[in-house]
Amino acid sequence: MLRLTHLRKSFGGVVAVDDLSLEVGRGEVFGLLGPNGAGKSTSIAMAVGLLDPDSGTVELDGVGRPTNAAVRRHLGVAPQSLALYDDLTGEENLRFFGRLHGLRGTALRERVGKTLEMVGLSPRRAHRVKEYSGGMKRRLNLAVAMIHDPPMLLLDEPTAGVDPQSRNNILDLVRTLAAEGRTILYTTHYMEEASRLCTRVGIIDRGRLLALGTVAELVARHGGLSVVTIDRDAPDGRAEERIQTAEPVREIARVMGQGNVHAVRIDRPDLESVFLQLTGRSLRD
Amino acid sequence: MRAIVAVAMKDLLLLTRDRANFFFTFIFPVLFAIFFGLIFGGGGGTNALDIALVDEDGGPAAVAFAGDLSADAGLTVHEAPTRAEGEALVRRGEVVAAVVVPDGFEEGAGAIFSGGSIALEAVMDPTRKAEAGLLEGKLNELGFRQMTRTFGDSAKMNATLEKARGQIAGADDLPAAQRLLFTALFNSLEGLNRTGALGGPTAAALPAPDGPAPAAGTPAAGLGAWRPVMVTVRELRIDRKGPSNSFEISFPQGVAWGLLGCVGAFGASLAAERQRGTLIRLRSAPIPRGYILVGKALGCFIACVFVQGLLLAVATVGFGVIVRQPGTMAAAVLLSSFGFTGVMMAIAAISRTEAGASGMGRAIVLVLAMIGGGTVPLFMLPPFMETVSNASPFKWAILAVEGALWRTSTPREMLTPALALIAFGVAGFLVGVVWMRRSEA
Repeated sequence: MLRLTHLRKSFGGVVAVDDLSLEVGRGEVFGLLGPNGAGKSTSIAMAVGLLDPDSGTVELDGVGRPTNAAVRRHLGVAPQSLALYDDLTGEENLRFFGRLHGLRGTALRERVGKTLEMVGLSPRRAHRVKEYSGGMKRRLNLAVAMIHDPPMLLLDEPTAGVDPQSRNNILDLVRTLAAEGRTILYTTHYMEEASRLCTRVGIIDRGRLLALGTVAELVARHGGLSVVTIDRDAPDGRAEERIQTAEPVREIARVMGQGNVHAVRIDRPDLESVFLQLTGRSLRD
Repeated sequence: MRAIVAVAMKDLLLLTRDRANFFFTFIFPVLFAIFFGLIFGGGGGTNALDIALVDEDGGPAAVAFAGDLSADAGLTVHEAPTRAEGEALVRRGEVVAAVVVPDGFEEGAGAIFSGGSIALEAVMDPTRKAEAGLLEGKLNELGFRQMTRTFGDSAKMNATLEKARGQIAGADDLPAAQRLLFTALFNSLEGLNRTGALGGPTAAALPAPDGPAPAAGTPAAGLGAWRPVMVTVRELRIDRKGPSNSFEISFPQGVAWGLLGCVGAFGASLAAERQRGTLIRLRSAPIPRGYILVGKALGCFIACVFVQGLLLAVATVGFGVIVRQPGTMAAAVLLSSFGFTGVMMAIAAISRTEAGASGMGRAIVLVLAMIGGGTVPLFMLPPFMETVSNASPFKWAILAVEGALWRTSTPREMLTPALALIAFGVAGFLVGVVWMRRSEA
């Protein structure tokens, strides 16, 4: 549904996005995973038409480029920053953005009610946003993206800074939206979210797409070996042994046969290990 | 088009919920106009003098005199029961003077031809010399009126003359020539009082001391119709070229501050959208990007029109300001709103942050307001400042509004302010659009 082709964007001497190409299929939840400053938000901005790429194209299947105002009717965006008016109520925010998307009268009223219901904010609809908790603001942020019932959603770190309950709520909501057939481009640096939600994941760092595939494919390709950790007796007490292996169960069977084993643990490769493998372990400023 | 209106209405709603901006946009200009109007002259006419009245006599003449004082439009009378309390009011500055009607006022008023007088005392703050002169004149006027009252009452006049005759008769040391003169004077006055020779249409003869009584219903004669000094007051229509009161200066200045408030409030709003992140949503909405700026411009325009309307309503209803040319005023309001909307758009587009917009507001717009007549009235600016003020949109807005008030500008005279305001509006719009496009690229 959304096609990004050889996108490139620089800000001054800094290359934010470097030759990024990916396609998000209809009905897919595509996760764009990367550390801070990897280029996720810049990619979203170009995908929505907020930024003109230095080169490359963005295309929405069957509709056109998002720099065209009419094309943006098919997109709903929830920015990373909470793009809400604090001095307006939740309902007023939705009504305003709904009007910008062409909704009027009864249709607007119904969409506002339904959206508030979906994000669990109906009881607080008449309260000003500045009175909302962080989790409530995130949910309203998502609600505004959905107000005009777009077929595609671009969610830029929608759970940033929220408590676990609110995060669960948002993730459940995203699953519901996906189940309804919406196409979702989801950026995050939380592995767990990407693993739980995404049909496919692209790992981006320093503006470049490092890997692309399902979670299982990425793990198989880039995850490396499993690590078996064995806690056993040693001449001077206990000792811990770590063994990298492609067949952890067989390795455990072999070790058990040797005796003196107190505990065994298997650490299978996951998305986090893939991520660290591809992006490195050093801190990012 | 609906999106433009939606953006404008949203911004206006936010303005009503932003207490600080709401105050400086709509409340402060009104307060400013009222305050400086009062400082520079208040109602434009003569302010009534506040005086205390101490009536130590209480007789009919004193009561009549007190009534004359209270009825006079140039005086506001505060009753003081004692002389000490009247003086206390003067000391506290609550009144200009304490006017004392002393004991014996009634007798004195009835003995003006025999050594008596209509005696009054005014206790005043020595620093208030101008008011002292005014009050003295006023008291003399009212004292003379009291005398006329005595003259007009023939019975009283008779009694006064009788008393005077008695005192002359008893004055042994009075030289004969003077006695003769006084007697002749009293005889003449008595005659005038009896016959009403100098009276008006209602004059009728009083009986001689031993003559028949006048017919029933005959109005009293006497000197009541005698008017040795007659002043006829006729009101003249004046085509003023200057303000008729200080509020006709201060309210246009208030307009300048209202427009400044609108520019400040809306100029910072785009920067706030940028910082808040809502600009992302606005730009990702399926509307042409220019609609965002036009929507903000519409909101600012409406606010500018409203604040000017509010000021004019307060000025005309509460402070005697007259809109002599309503059509010109409507044009002035619309043109000022257009011009300042342009100024706002330039500031909004250039400012990256709310703090930047506020800073620019203070640095540039406030200075323009000050040199453009926002603080010192335009007609009081020295010649070199008049030239400098041409660069300020505030000058042209104030001139346009004053043109519809006291300047009574002709269409030709309005042309320059109109063109200047249009130029500011167009230039600001262009700067805003170009700058926003560059920043998006």
